[in-house]
Amino acid sequence: MSLHDLASLGAGFSHESFGSQAIFRCALNALSQPGRCITVEHDAQVPRSGKAAGAVLLLALLDSDCTLWLSPSLQGSDAAAWLRFHTGCQMVSQPDRAMFAWVGEGDAMPLLSSFSQGSDSEPDFSATCIIDVQQMHTDANIDSCWTLSGPGIQNLSHLTVEGLPEDFVLQWAANHARFPRGVDLFLATQTHLLGLPRTTSIQLSGGL
Amino acid sequence: MFHTFDNVESAQPEARADWMALLSRAPLELLESAVGPHWPAKPNWLRAPETGLMMIQGRAGSTGERFNLGEVTVSRCALRLELASPQAAVVGVAYTLGRSHRQVSLAAVADAMLQDPSQQGLLEQILLAPIREYLSHQRMVREQRAQSTKVEFFTVARESGALDDEGDA
Repeated sequence: MSLHDLASLGAGFSHESFGSQAIFRCALNALSQPGRCITVEHDAQVPRSGKAAGAVLLLALLDSDCTLWLSPSLQGSDAAAWLRFHTGCQMVSQPDRAMFAWVGEGDAMPLLSSFSQGSDSEPDFSATCIIDVQQMHTDANIDSCWTLSGPGIQNLSHLTVEGLPEDFVLQWAANHARFPRGVDLFLATQTHLLGLPRTTSIQLSGGL
Repeated sequence: MFHTFDNVESAQPEARADWMALLSRAPLELLESAVGPHWPAKPNWLRAPETGLMMIQGRAGSTGERFNLGEVTVSRCALRLELASPQAAVVGVAYTLGRSHRQVSLAAVADAMLQDPSQQGLLEQILLAPIREYLSHQRMVREQRAQSTKVEFFTVARESGALDDEGDA
């Protein structure tokens, strides 16, 4: 990162610990209630590229021990410089070496199996992926929505996401079957986060 | 004199590295008198002042292998300063030894102001020159103190070919 970029970078949270604690709470809510849109409130000056909710989630979670993989549209963008400046995280070029991954909207999502899966004795070593999506809905009345079930979901919850690859449900089934290994996912829009931990199973349903 | 900076391959002119090295060793009083009046009413922090530990490395005789000398307390900050001139805002960055947040903030303001060509001349006069003077004075005092402990070893050269061992000191 050159100093020239520094002049165009935004500030982080106005209060570092309170700001990141609030986002951490959002992340906990999102993972404990999979399939629910969690509103993200923050006061950071987020970069232009990447969805704001994904950016602040990474800002809250990363530190200098973390490795981060970015999709092509985010690599070399102001989002990369911003995260590097504020968190000191290390960028890696291979998805399987990353603890965190951030896939920008419109970029092809790498196969979920290409990220670090953890091991049976240390499943917490798997990657956490943040995927920027165009939009997501949780009403059941849309055609071809998904039905989610698993821990944290009382009966069934419904979800429609625009901006994920076609074979996502198949990839997710494989990821779910690898339990206790497997990646955890956050879907991010500008204002909302949605958690999909590896314990959640997704079924395609034709709508009601 | 140490020159360790975040971005070695940066295309920034050497001058900036020089004045940053000076500012990081400037005493608070000098910074306060020169930059204090220019302290922004509402500083635009990019990175608020923070204090932490940093491992410093040394090289034996400046040339040997690197070794970890020890940890030092370092404060750092970065702020954005709007300039009077139409030029876009500049970012001042500072790292200082110790825990004084005021000192590191003033050093960052000075770094930002020095990037404005219209203020560079004045600051060179009222800030950088006094810092250089202060540092050279400090160095001189330290050298004198070291000088006073100097021990001279005298050896009288042995006369070539002399065989008796008792004559020499």
